[in-house]
Amino acid sequence: MKRRFRIYYPFVNAGMQQVTTYRVDWIFYLLGNVVHSLVSFFIWQAVFLSGSEETLNGFTMPQMIVYFFLIFISDTMITSDASMMIAEEVRDGSIAMRMLRPVGYNATFLFFELGGKLLTQIVLIVPVVIGVEISRFVLSGVVQFSVLNLLLFFVSTILAYLINLFFSICFGFLAFVIKHIWGTNIMKNCIVSFCSGAMVPLSFMPDALKTVFMLLPFASLNYTPVMIYMGVYQGADLLFYFGLQIFWALFFWALSKLLAMVSAKHLTVQGG
Amino acid sequence: MIEVANLRKEFKKTIKEPGLKGSLKSLFHPQSEQVVAVDNISFHVPKGEILGFIGPNGAGKSTVIKMLTGILTPTSGKCTINGQNPVVNRKNYVKEIGVVFGQRTQLWWDLPLRETYGVLKEIYEVDDKSYRERMAFLNETLDLDSFISRPVRTLSLGQRMRADIAASLLHSPKVLFLDEPTIGLDVVVKDNIRRAIEQINSQEQTTVILTTHDLADIEQLADRIVMIDKGKNVFDGSVRTLKSRYGQMRELNFVTESPHPAETLRYREQFHFAEDDVSVECEGTAVKVRFNSAVVPIADMLSYTLQTVQVSDISVKDADIEEIIRRLYMQGVE
Ligand SMILES: Nc1ncnc2c1ncn2[C@@H]1O[C@H](COP(=O)(O)OP(=O)(O)O)[C@@H](O)[C@H]1O
Ligand SMILES: [Mg+2]
Repeated sequence: MKRRFRIYYPFVNAGMQQVTTYRVDWIFYLLGNVVHSLVSFFIWQAVFLSGSEETLNGFTMPQMIVYFFLIFISDTMITSDASMMIAEEVRDGSIAMRMLRPVGYNATFLFFELGGKLLTQIVLIVPVVIGVEISRFVLSGVVQFSVLNLLLFFVSTILAYLINLFFSICFGFLAFVIKHIWGTNIMKNCIVSFCSGAMVPLSFMPDALKTVFMLLPFASLNYTPVMIYMGVYQGADLLFYFGLQIFWALFFWALSKLLAMVSAKHLTVQGG
Repeated sequence: MIEVANLRKEFKKTIKEPGLKGSLKSLFHPQSEQVVAVDNISFHVPKGEILGFIGPNGAGKSTVIKMLTGILTPTSGKCTINGQNPVVNRKNYVKEIGVVFGQRTQLWWDLPLRETYGVLKEIYEVDDKSYRERMAFLNETLDLDSFISRPVRTLSLGQRMRADIAASLLHSPKVLFLDEPTIGLDVVVKDNIRRAIEQINSQEQTTVILTTHDLADIEQLADRIVMIDKGKNVFDGSVRTLKSRYGQMRELNFVTESPHPAETLRYREQFHFAEDDVSVECEGTAVKVRFNSAVVPIADMLSYTLQTVQVSDISVKDADIEEIIRRLYMQGVE
């Protein structure tokens, strides 16, 4: 374990260095996400205010605030560029350099992204959670913040990230078949974003659709962590949804291993 | 040490006709053709040998190296290095080899060079003491000190190549694969790199496979040459064998005041040389004649030249390997 840490720590470090080297990129990326979540919040607030009810599809105003800002955190947390990195490396042949190292192929992506993510999370999570909790307190008059839920949320987003990473790696291996996957990747991100509840809370959707998304890996990515933070899942429910996340993470991990093996045979390293 | 048996690699190339129509056509009816990049190549390299692996552009050298390093899976045939099959146990195998592709870097673009080595130290599990000794040695032979704290993306080509070679040697590999390690470098850097390869090879019995277009690399370093062309093995033997088998070319150099030496001498007509067997280059008063000494003995060439024009400073040189290889590449080898 300790040995593994020593081997992969440099990748974590390299990931952080990448962020600090291209900090302006990174800051704009974060700002873009903040704006995005503000916009979606204000749209839903307008919908909320235009109705005469106390709740919208069972969401009170404070709950909506929590939902849209926490989903912003989880969405930032689970984002993985692995598919594009793989596709790019397949295209320009630099995937060869990764294969020449005595390290696990998937693990290098994981630890590299982890580095950048740690920084992102530190910068995001504290102010967003404080902001959300203050506005929730102001609106409802009671302190609803739970440290336990925050910790469980954090664990759940890590599982969600793993699901998305391994899914992205699987998807990236498509690059062996389609040499340019840029367009397909955008479509994939769009579908994931919609089906995981990042655009519209899943509870707003028709029951049948919601059930499907809940069981498919989608809900595990964004909706589940946020529900955990909001304290909606308790006891057996909580265990069930954690179990589902773990199942999907293992499923895509195994699939990515299989695809890596298959595509190694079809790899044609281009250039020089 | 390295066993290569009947190695073959085919690539599928998609063919696209030009223009929009071609694009649409290939979208719905993708057409592809087989390219045989490596065709039935076999050779053997004993431990501690430096093998010069040469051939014209597109011969398939890089493809062979990629298969030997486990990056590409052969279509058929086998390669075994140190008893291991490169693609079977990749993680274990790559610990024992060092690889440099001159055309691309394996260093992290954004990291300072020193940190890159730190990363490699951990990845390859080099202990502190060996690491310090190794870095000292590499510093000395490749002169890394002057740029070791700079990010890799700011290095010049020569610096980057030295850095890459040092990176490939950090973990004391048993086999070193170098694919055009001197491409685009100046004489001093080339010399540095050759010295490093030589030292590593003699001190640690490292087996080296080296592809290059610079035949000085071959002459200084290689114990043996394997030459391939269009994916096929065309020569396997020592530099000396290559010279004695194909090296009847000689170079006659002289200086003359006579105005049109080439027109006056007319070697081809005089001795009935074939097209490839003689060539004359004039530069001011200096004349360089390359000729096949198997067709016309050196003595005949000399006496004919001396009788026909007024000559000062005449000499005959052994063919250099470059000349031999130039002829081989041009004619192809049967
Ligand atoms: N990824 C690839 N797809 C299709 N053809 C390739 C690919 N890589 C190499 N080739 C072809 O294989 C042949 C050998 O290439 P290469 O091994 O790079 O030659 P060398 O290194 O000797 O110059 C060339 O004809 C090249 O066009
Ligand atoms: Mg090449």
